[in-house]
Parts: sequence; structure tokens; C-alpha cells
Amino acid sequence: MELENLLDPRLIIVTGKGGVGKSTVAASLALAAAGTGRRTCLVEVEGRQTFSRLFSTQTWDFSEREFRPGLWGLSVDADASLREYLEMFYGARRLSRIVTNSSAVEFATTAAPGIKDVLLIGKVKEVERRRDPDGRFHYDLIVLDAPPTGRIVNFLRAPDATTELVNIGPIRDQAQSVIDMLLDPQRTNVHLVTLLEEMPVQETIDSARALDEVGVTLGPVVVNRVLSPRFDDTTRKAFEGLDVAATQRVVAKADVELTDQGAEALLRIGTLHLHRLELQERMRGILSRRLRLPLLELPYLWDEHFGADELAHLAEVVEESL
Amino acid sequence: MTPRDGLAGARQRRLADVVEQRHVIVCTGSGGVGKTTSAAAIALGAARAGRRTIVLTIDPAKRLAQSLGLTSLDNTPRAVKGVENLDAMMLDMKGTFDEVIDRHASDPRRAARIKANRFYQQLSSSLAGTQEYMATEKLYDLHNTGRYDCIVIDTPPTRNALDLLDAPKRLTDFLEGRFLRMFLAPGLAAGRIATRAAGFGAGLFMKTASRLTGQAVLSDLAEFFQSFEGMYDEFKQRAQQVYRLLQSPTSAFVVVATPEVPALREARYFLQRLAQDGMPTAGLVVNRVTPPPPDGLDGLPAKQARQAAGALLGGSADENAVAALLDLHADRLGVTKRERKNIAAALHGIDPRALVEVPLMDSDVHDLDDLTAICEVLLGA
Ligand SMILES: Nc1ncnc2c1ncn2[C@@H]1O[C@H](COP(=O)(O)OP(=O)(O)OP(=O)(O)O)[C@@H](O)[C@H]1O
Ligand SMILES: Nc1ncnc2c1ncn2[C@@H]1O[C@H](COP(=O)(O)OP(=O)(O)OP(=O)(O)O)[C@@H](O)[C@H]1O
Ligand SMILES: [Mg+2]
Ligand SMILES: [Mg+2]
Repeated sequence: MELENLLDPRLIIVTGKGGVGKSTVAASLALAAAGTGRRTCLVEVEGRQTFSRLFSTQTWDFSEREFRPGLWGLSVDADASLREYLEMFYGARRLSRIVTNSSAVEFATTAAPGIKDVLLIGKVKEVERRRDPDGRFHYDLIVLDAPPTGRIVNFLRAPDATTELVNIGPIRDQAQSVIDMLLDPQRTNVHLVTLLEEMPVQETIDSARALDEVGVTLGPVVVNRVLSPRFDDTTRKAFEGLDVAATQRVVAKADVELTDQGAEALLRIGTLHLHRLELQERMRGILSRRLRLPLLELPYLWDEHFGADELAHLAEVVEESL
Repeated sequence: MTPRDGLAGARQRRLADVVEQRHVIVCTGSGGVGKTTSAAAIALGAARAGRRTIVLTIDPAKRLAQSLGLTSLDNTPRAVKGVENLDAMMLDMKGTFDEVIDRHASDPRRAARIKANRFYQQLSSSLAGTQEYMATEKLYDLHNTGRYDCIVIDTPPTRNALDLLDAPKRLTDFLEGRFLRMFLAPGLAAGRIATRAAGFGAGLFMKTASRLTGQAVLSDLAEFFQSFEGMYDEFKQRAQQVYRLLQSPTSAFVVVATPEVPALREARYFLQRLAQDGMPTAGLVVNRVTPPPPDGLDGLPAKQARQAAGALLGGSADENAVAALLDLHADRLGVTKRERKNIAAALHGIDPRALVEVPLMDSDVHDLDDLTAICEVLLGA
């Protein structure tokens, strides 16, 4: 697996510990893909409207919308997926008899929870397989903002679990074709998002192992919020030689007056920065030793807002790594 | 009082009185924000105030668990070495559910039958909020022992913080089997459900369900509900008692978030919902905030720092180094501004009672010293 093949699969599943930046990364990958000319669809499954908020668009729903040139957005939910699937399977007329009883659906999905996940991924599969009249795939790439690592294994195992439980009928067929998609390395890659901090790194290593057992192919690990060094070798040496008086003298040249306390604080910011970089380096080492997957690093953005511009910036970083 | 005053007022109130007085303290919030860390720090504070305290953690990070002396998932309180009055335990979700069944089942044979049921075995992962419910159930147990003045509970990382409040109702509704009770008479052979149900005019329901799940799932389900028959009322009663304990003024909810928009949005929903349900809100902890500029640098605004950095850049090595420091300072101020704005926006028009910002520490929080540092921030020491 090389970084330049990052966007080659048909489906990229993005997961990671809560809050590490799964949605940010999914959106950045999708933007980058659209930027390379791929017809791309960005999908959310938990109905949180993360992307419509980030991109300031109308609410997303079960029908795809082109919200950027070449980039479509879709929010899938189990109910709509089921309805659509049964419609295909049984035809619209019989369907209305079957699913008007929505409490039955709710009940069934509680009784066998994997069914819900099968339906969600099933919809993604439908989007992935869809072809234009000329026979080409409708989308070149689908990017899925998936549940966090704590739930991802159950999510991806759901089709398997379902084929064990349910041995006939539409759901079983659906589950089998979903498994075929998920386990095909040409079609599906799972990208783990992490931070260069202890807990997320540990959880990433654990999840990578668990996902390996599921049989899905892991893409690069996306390392988010990476701090870039502010010193080069020369300035670092200079920094290490600075004391309070020297610092005060230097800032005075730029018409800034600092008290002793102020100068000390400024120096401490530098020390803290170096300390963070060291931690990052250690975590980076652990990740590459334990996982042997390429790392795609995205910078920590210091902007006062975090929105569409920041995503575009991160997408550029992704494109540069291709 | 304008919302702005409310925010400033909340910022001045810390959690000291909560930690010193409340009997039950629940830490909740979205995934990874610092619920477990906050719960442990709060418990430490209560113990140091001389109260007999226990913290009930859920899936703590390994090194934190070690510092608390927790090695196994066994629902057993253990004294934390080096801290008087403090016990800690790790919640065993499955074990707690089993205990609940044992308690309510009329005889051990029936309990065993339920516990062996395949549907039962997956119920806790399938029904949203079941894990949260088990945490509160265990809490109620600890409360009943009378051994503790203060019980602090952590909550599992959930999709939706509201699951914690909705769990008892969802679980009891489900067990009550709104639809099912009509269809599944006790003693009915599982294989014949569909036929019997059809007789009740419910054929479509069962037919749809069995098309979706397969017959095996329905059989497991039928067996589960048959075994559960008769236990329901007691179960519901217990759930109500647990809920009442949470609702009582001696309890307190501490909502935890990070200064990022998604976590704060979740926190806002939760605070609103707590108010609606008449739950005792104690405060919002915003964890991992970028530390504010240290004393002596607070007078140097971002704009001036950037200008100075620009002027120094390209000079001597010392000047370049200082320029980098000034830039870093300005960047941090920018992030602080973003975080402040996020917090203010999330709290617009609502009163979290207390608002505590806990700075991002230099490293992960895993020993008692780290916890003490966080505890002191929370208490306002
Ligand atoms: N590279 C970055 N630089 C700075 N801030 C970032 C970066 N990536 C993410 N963030 C901040 O972190 C917040 C959370 O990111 P995001 O919503 O992508 O996380 P998530 O993993 O999807 O969270 P959840 O588990 O809640 O779905 C963003 O709103 C943004 O403020
Ligand atoms: N103020 C802080 N500064 C630095 N690191 C922190 C701080 N608070 C928490 N952490 C670290 O962040 C990580 C997550 O914290 P914690 O486990 O308490 O979160 P949680 O909300 O319980 O997560 P989960 O939802 O996964 O249960 C831990 O590694 C912890 O050490
Ligand atoms: Mg997200
Ligand atoms: Mg936790």
C-alpha cells in the first residue's frame, strides 16, 4: 500500500476514536478526490448532519446532492434503506403491504441489531455498484464517515453475523453482497484516523488488529492535528541558548517590552512546543513500528474558525501527498 | 440577567460544593472528551474532603486503571492505594445485567434460562442505552449498601448522551414488549408463533419481522419473553427507583466536553434535556482547553506579537528563534479565541450553573498527581 494509491479504492471507510477528526478527514479526502476529477460521494450514516453544517448546505438526506463540483453528499438511515431495498426486491406494490408496519421494522432491528448496519452498508453498496447507461460506474469513489472505532468492528461484522442468523430471504442476499464488497481489497479500504497522543495511538493499534481479523484491507493511517516544528536546527540551538535578559533584548528591537515574567513565559511556550514535538515523534515511531502502514499526516490548523476553508486546506495537503 | 452575565457567573462557580455535598455525581458527555478522567478527579476531590467515596469507571485507559489499582473487570470495589477514603471499581456490564436477572427471577432455573438465551446475550449491545442503564443500576446497588457518602459514576462513550436519560424507559418499554405481549402467549411453542399470531390478526407484523430476521431470531426472542414473563413489573419498579435517585437534589450531573464544536453541541443538547427532565445539573466541564497565556504574556496581543515576529524574522539566529516564539504565542491566542467563541455559542441562552475549563495538560493523565492537578482546577483551589 502506497500513499499515492490512497484514493484508488471504490469505497473508503473512515473510522477512529471519538473526536479525533473522522468527519474532518472524510470530508478532506472527498474534496481531494473531487479535485482529482473523480466523481465522488461523501456519505454519513449517523444522521448527525455533520457535513451539511461544515459546508453550510441544506440538510442532507437520502437522496444525493451535488454540493461542490463533482462532489455529492448523502445521509443514509436504516429505515429508508430498508424501504428502498425491499422495493427493489419485491416491487413497489407488495412492498406497501409489507413495510407500512414500521413498528415491525423497528422491532426486527432491535431483535437483530446487525440488520440495521447491513441495511446502511447495503445502501452504500447500491451507490457503489450503480452504473450509468454507458456501463461506467456512476461514482468513482465513495467516502464513508463511519462509526467510531468502538463500534466499527460490529458495524463491519454485521453482514457476517446476519448471514449466520438469517438463512434465507432478501436480507441474507443483501448481507452476502455487502460482505463481497467489504472484503475486496480493490473495492474497499478502511482508513483509521488518529492523533499523535497515547490513547488514540493505542486504540488505533488495537483496532487495526481487530479490523485485520474482520478481513478488511486497511489503507493508510491518517494522522490528524499534527504540529509542525517551528524551529530548524539553527534556531533551535539559538532558542536553547536564550535566557530572560537576551529574550527581552531581542523583543525590544521589535518595540515589544516584556517583564521578566513575560520573557520567561515566552520561553516556556518554546519548551512546551519542543516537548510536544518529542511526544509526537515517539508516537509516530510506535505507530509505524506496530502497524507498518503508511501514515498520511494532516497539520493542526490554528485558524480562529474551523469550517469549509479549513477542509479545503486539508484537502490540498491530501492532494499533495498523492 | 443577560446570557453573557450567566456565562461569566457560571465561570466563577466551580464544582467545590458539588464535590463536597452531593451524594451521587454522574459524569457524562460524548466520546473521548474526558469523562473517565473527570470522574476520577472528582472522586479524588470528594475523598480528600473526608467523604467515603467510590468511583465507578467504565473502560478506563490502562494506565489510569493501574494508578487506581484496578486490574480486573469484576464489579468489586478496591481501595485506591495512597488515598484515604477512596475506592474504585470497573463496571462489568455483562455481570451487572446478569445480577439484575438473578435478582428479579423467581428461581435460579429461570435465571439460567434467560442468561443462556442468545437474544439476551446481545441485548446490551443492541438496545441503545442499555450500558448506561447498567451503570446507573450498579450505582443504585452501591447507594443501597450505605457504605459511601459520595458515589461518582462514569458513563460509556455513546452516540448520543441522551441515551443515558432515555435508557430506563427504552429498556422497560422493550421488555414490556409493547407489541409482543399480545402475540406471544406463555407456553406457546416458538415454531408456531407465526400461525398463532396470524389468528390475532397480527400476521403481517410477524411475517414482516420474520422475513427480516429469520425464524431463528424470533424463536430466541419468543423464548426470552416467555422466560421474562412475570419479572417485568419488578424490573420496571426498580428502573423507576434508579431514575428517582438520579433525579433527587442530592445527585448531580456534570457534563463534560472539549472546546470543539461537535462535543459542545452534544453538551448543549444534554444540558437542555437535563433541565427539561428536572434533573439536577451541576455544571459543564470543558476539558483540554488551550491554556491561556501565562502571567506576563497576557498583555501581548496576537496582532502585536505577529508584527514583532515579522520584524525580527530574517535577522540573527536569536531573532529568528524569538520570532518563532512570538508566532507560537499568537497562534495559541487564536485558538483560545476560537475555543472561547465555541463555548459561548454552545451556552447561548442556557445556564450550565458552573463552568470549569480544564487546560490541556502536557501529557496524558494517568497517575494520581495528574488527577490531583485536574481535581484542583475543578474545585477552584
Ligand atoms: N486538523 C485540525 N486542526 C485543527 N482542528 C481540527 C483539525 N481536525 C479537526 N479539528 C477540530 O476537531 C473537531 C472535531 O473533528 P471531527 O468532527 O472531524 O471529529 P470526529 O472524529 O468526526 O468526531 P465524532 O467522533 O464526534 O464524530 C472539529 O470540529 C475541529 O474543530
Ligand atoms: N486535560 C487533559 N489534558 C491532557 N490529556 C487529557 C486531559 N483530560 C483527559 N486527557 C486524556 O485524554 C484521553 C481521554 O480521556 P478519558 O479516557 O477520560 O475520556 P472519556 O471521555 O472517558 O473517553 P471514552 O468516551 O472513550 O470513555 C486520556 O488519554 C486522558 O489521559
Ligand atoms: Mg464525526
Ligand atoms: Mg471513558
